[in-house]
Amino acid sequence: MNGTGTDKVAALAAIREQLGSRITSGSELLQVQETREVRAATGLAGLNEQLGGGLPKGQFTEILSGDHGGGGLVMAALLARARRERQYVMLLDVGCCFSPESFPEADLEGLLWVGCSGAGEAVEALDVASRDENFSLFFVDLRGSSSSDWRGVRANQWQRILGQLRQRESVAILFANEAVTSASKHRIRVGLALQCDDLDRDREQLLARLRFEPARGSEVDSSRTVAMRQVG
Amino acid sequence: MGFIECSRNRSGTPGFAVVWCPDFKLQAVVRRVQTKPEPVALVDDTKRQSVILSRNEAAIRQGVEVGMKTVQGLARCPGLRVESPSAPAEEAAARTLLETSFGWVPGIEETGEGWLTLDLSTQSPGEWVDSAQRLRGRLYEAGAEVVIGIGETPSLARIAALAARAEGKSFRHLDPGCRMEHLDQLSLGLAETAEELQERLRLWGVNSLGAFARLSREAIAARMGDEGVELWLRLTGRLQRPLRLAKLDELFEEHQDFDYEVREREPLLFVVNRFLDQLIVRVGATGRAAVAVHVLLTFSDGSCRAKRLPLPEPVLDHEILFHLISGYLDGLEMKAAIGGIRIRFEPSDPVASQRTLFGAGLKNRYQFEDTMKRLRKIVGSERVGTPRSLSTHRPGVFELQPLPDSLEECEERKGPPVTGATVRRFRGGLRVDVQMREGRPFRIESRPVSGLVVDLAGPWYCGGDWWHAGRDWNRVEWDVEIRARGVFRLVREKEQWNLEGRYE
Repeated sequence: MNGTGTDKVAALAAIREQLGSRITSGSELLQVQETREVRAATGLAGLNEQLGGGLPKGQFTEILSGDHGGGGLVMAALLARARRERQYVMLLDVGCCFSPESFPEADLEGLLWVGCSGAGEAVEALDVASRDENFSLFFVDLRGSSSSDWRGVRANQWQRILGQLRQRESVAILFANEAVTSASKHRIRVGLALQCDDLDRDREQLLARLRFEPARGSEVDSSRTVAMRQVG
Repeated sequence: MGFIECSRNRSGTPGFAVVWCPDFKLQAVVRRVQTKPEPVALVDDTKRQSVILSRNEAAIRQGVEVGMKTVQGLARCPGLRVESPSAPAEEAAARTLLETSFGWVPGIEETGEGWLTLDLSTQSPGEWVDSAQRLRGRLYEAGAEVVIGIGETPSLARIAALAARAEGKSFRHLDPGCRMEHLDQLSLGLAETAEELQERLRLWGVNSLGAFARLSREAIAARMGDEGVELWLRLTGRLQRPLRLAKLDELFEEHQDFDYEVREREPLLFVVNRFLDQLIVRVGATGRAAVAVHVLLTFSDGSCRAKRLPLPEPVLDHEILFHLISGYLDGLEMKAAIGGIRIRFEPSDPVASQRTLFGAGLKNRYQFEDTMKRLRKIVGSERVGTPRSLSTHRPGVFELQPLPDSLEECEERKGPPVTGATVRRFRGGLRVDVQMREGRPFRIESRPVSGLVVDLAGPWYCGGDWWHAGRDWNRVEWDVEIRARGVFRLVREKEQWNLEGRYE
């Protein structure tokens, strides 16, 4: 760095010192925003525990189910809670796999179903829908698409949607078989060992049996890893 | 001009008002011309010698007369400002007159050039005078100086307006309770009858409209024929006629034909912006809002494209309306340059709706409609909606309905508790080979899902629609647990096995 550059840095530091706490950088602002994060309780104790109290508003949360099942029950529980709270929910369903007869009719009253033919289409639709203040909860069901399909989505598109979610404090849940985007704040794996006999049980009992654990790459997972390293 | 109220209104009386813009052609060209201190005259230049058609008060004071040659007028009044009639200005003035009057009552007839007849039956008589005063004020702000007459029939209201003008007033009400006393003060000329009839009446000593109205109908019919009877019926309030009401929805329109070819959207949006400013003010002045916007584009190749853009509820918000039109123009494929644009507001009464105190619904309906439009463009209109089960036992059949505007409080769930897991369907079904043992599925074979059936439930037989030829269906369902893969719904329909979905 030449002399002029050093002078500029020094001058900037002097201005910062003079202004004191009145000036903040963009990253500082983001940190502040993240520390005062608002969460929406899910009604599922196990999931709330993993998420630190509920779904973080203005964030992506990934629910990974794969062959373990349980994703549909999580969706049913969140849908029922949103209906009780009279919130509108949008489901972006890749592959049109949604089965309305599995859900109580009343829970579907506030649901807007959007059938998408691919992950790219679903993300494009989410990009449009996340600007709408009428919806506070978005489900994006990517389990009907292959990983190569949604890997084609550009990172900046995820970031733009994230910005829109933050602005409106809405929640987007990505249901997938494996990790989708680094823009997600939490990544939770859900599991349920389902048997034929379970199909006659109360849904409440099945919900109580859902297992949640942080998936690789999740913020919870990272913090635990850090904690383990420190202990080690 | 003074503003007088002749008499107290009698409650419950049907009434009509006549709004008259005297010297309409002149007023269309020069705003507030009658009260202007400078002399102004409207001349007819189409003939070989230019003649004066009308003039304002200042010109009258300086001796300028109607029918006089323009050069004569200029000789009498060297400072005379000379104007020519303008059809677009007259059209704009007539529109202003009508639109502003719609702020008073909805039933209006365009009786003639500069003449409107208003049906006041929708308003309480006690408010007529105040409303007339307000209308006159608004029209004055818009540049038109009018006189208003009120009477129990359109004819009497017209006579009242003419009388007000003759007396130098801006308003006159011929109250039915003391109509005769008022008519006694009015000269025969105000009745707009033939000069010959007026002259004959004067010779007989009948000098006022009141004196004529006091004569018996039979005597008039015997001596003056139909013309006399018609006048007598008008003056006594017995001549009623229905109004040919102007249509409000054809009124709020702006258009521009471009002198040059417009190929970009920017100049178009600039014009749209200007039109919206004008239309919003005009529609707002009538106490209404736009429920839809009609856009008509004409192209240089002679083609045109019209579109009605509906709004979810009546609105007059510039931003929302601009967004609506610009959204349509953005998605428009222009094969040729645009030659002209026409925008019309479809007016409606504003919605007086208020949500319940604890109600929840769409926060922003316009944004929602916009989102829906964009989503339909991305995924197709048949793939957006709120799923609703149909009245059938056939699984997987549902219809899509619009999302409700509001969500009522959810009542405590009635009926049996919800059981089992949800099903995630393999859209279109996953065709599988099934090995049976003792009449039950034993092994499932397909590319994505294969394995031994370790547990099962079923079979369940169901069918329906046999009463519709060719649409009947029959199926056998099993719930099968495939080792290390999960629980699936297995269906046999038309001799074909399918995995319909997975329980999860």
